[in-house]
Amino acid sequence: MSLAASQNPRASPAARAFVVALSVVIGFSAISIQLVRLALQGQFAEPRVAMTQPLTTAVWRPDIIDRNGRLLATDIEAPTLYADPAMIIDVDEVVERLTEVFPEFNAAELRRSLSDRNRRYVRLKRGISPAAAQRIHNYGLPGIAFRNEPKRVYPNGTLAGHVLGHVNIDNQGTSGLERYIDETIGVEAVHAGTPGTLKPLQISLDIAVQHALEHELRSAVQTYSAKGAAGVILDANTGEVLAAASLPQVDPADRMQGLDPQRLDKLVDGVYELGSIFKTLTIAMALEAGTAHLDKVYDVRVPLRVGKYTIRDLYPPGRPLTVRDIFVLSSNVGAGMLALELGSERQRAYLERFGLTKPIRTEAGPVAAPKLPRYWGKAETITISYGHGMALAPIQFAATAAALVNGGHWVPPTFVQQSSPAWERGERIVSRETSLAIRELMRRNVVSPRGTGRRADVPGYEVGGKTGTAELPSRGGYREEAVIASFVAAFPMSDPKYVVLVMLHEPKPTEETKGKITAGVNAAPVAGQIIARTAPLLGVLPRHHEEAQLHQ
Amino acid sequence: MLRLSSAIAAAAAIVSAVLLYAVSYDTRHWISIVQSQERQIERLRSDIAVLKAELAYLARPERIEPAARSLGFVPAAGDQYVDLHSVEPVGSTQRSDVESAAPSQRSSQ
Repeated sequence: MSLAASQNPRASPAARAFVVALSVVIGFSAISIQLVRLALQGQFAEPRVAMTQPLTTAVWRPDIIDRNGRLLATDIEAPTLYADPAMIIDVDEVVERLTEVFPEFNAAELRRSLSDRNRRYVRLKRGISPAAAQRIHNYGLPGIAFRNEPKRVYPNGTLAGHVLGHVNIDNQGTSGLERYIDETIGVEAVHAGTPGTLKPLQISLDIAVQHALEHELRSAVQTYSAKGAAGVILDANTGEVLAAASLPQVDPADRMQGLDPQRLDKLVDGVYELGSIFKTLTIAMALEAGTAHLDKVYDVRVPLRVGKYTIRDLYPPGRPLTVRDIFVLSSNVGAGMLALELGSERQRAYLERFGLTKPIRTEAGPVAAPKLPRYWGKAETITISYGHGMALAPIQFAATAAALVNGGHWVPPTFVQQSSPAWERGERIVSRETSLAIRELMRRNVVSPRGTGRRADVPGYEVGGKTGTAELPSRGGYREEAVIASFVAAFPMSDPKYVVLVMLHEPKPTEETKGKITAGVNAAPVAGQIIARTAPLLGVLPRHHEEAQLHQ
Repeated sequence: MLRLSSAIAAAAAIVSAVLLYAVSYDTRHWISIVQSQERQIERLRSDIAVLKAELAYLARPERIEPAARSLGFVPAAGDQYVDLHSVEPVGSTQRSDVESAAPSQRSSQ
């Protein structure tokens, strides 16, 4: 000690002690200052507890509500039964009790998985009922526990099943709007097990209108013994889908049904030759191009011949027809002549302008791509003019029909509620004059005594439309007695607000239809019934005074 | 001098120890209150979700439509709507009755 003291004159014992004391004082002061700060802070700040580790792979999803706020899909908590094999004392007793409550459990497999004491988590069953959970809880088995996990429920059953889509076992969206939610809005990983506080997704569908559409389509399938049906109601100005249905329907709660090819969504996932409803487009093209006007006369008495094909009319009128009559009487020969005058180049260009050559998509997923002919010759030009030779997804056609009647603006179909008309977004696809002419033609088709759409009329709602009866293709030609009968309608025609498209797949003749299966006797009256039932729900009031002028 | 600073240091140590335990106790107390409230919130939110789902289930069109039809209701028909202008105002055919009533009983219009 004295040696160190002699070597370093400054390190005397007193000085060292002072340095140590000083550092201790500084240290304690620092701690006490911090304590005082914390004590003061605690008076004013709110206590916060944070948990950052997600408990499971499941997610909480936002609700889906319709345009009026009615619930379509929501999450509730459902208990999940799991086991911790390391904590199980008597495996046999556990297996016995569990198979008592859940007879579907395989006892041997259960015993095997519960005997592996290295596993700490064995999920036994998800989404069990609270009653079953209570029973198992009452047995007091160590190593068996519950955890609440989110379960997606659809209170309206199969309503709008195709549109809503499905979720997988982890509550993640796999198709339809459920998938749109995951990809766009986002979901919340399960933390402390609180049901989400996420803002609900408000879609454009109206539950009441959707139910009316589905109900009427189901009746139609029964009345005409059809194999299936599809229907959509669009807002002509905003593109909002008010209702979309495809029969056979799909239960959104049943994932497996989504894979059933019988339950294909005919509106968006299938492409079909739509038949004479296409004549609406053919005439619109001719009017736009200026190759025809409504009073121009065509001699349709001579059938068109192209190579080895002859195109005839189903009910030959036996006289030359004006363009108006071609539409109202649905003459294939007339449509073919109009298209030939246009030429295949212009026909293709107009189809592109109308948005029918490329696939579209909606929030509910991609729409099946249009099938166009590989080689576009004279025969194809003629057949496309009356809706054969090219196949489309019905919703894509309905959107173009809406653009033709709303004054000429393309509006993309959308499932999410819009706050304003899509005028600014939409590009013009036809002139206003052409749009007014199409309105007049569609109204005539329903009002004329020989119009194919006369059974679709509903007093007061100024219904206009066009029928289409498309034979289904089969190997080597077309099946004569199997058709897709469609009707495209819009109302009220003096200022169209809604477009309705109805399709019946393979309707059969009935006593009422006197053996016929054309759209005029099945799809048209069904569309009329749908309009009569849904117009009040859509806020369209009937006009009982004399019909307003179409040209404004 | 050193004895005084030791005494002060010792006192400071004791005081800071007391403060430390007080803060720690307080924190634990608040944490447990917060946790119990959060659990209560979870339970209530879960109950609300179940009730909302049940309400929607009871109001589903599949159930309401047959019930309504059995009571004699049908979808509204076009001819059940009338234009207000085509309807006569109430009391227009009873003008003489209104005029003969005492002035105080006439509605002010």
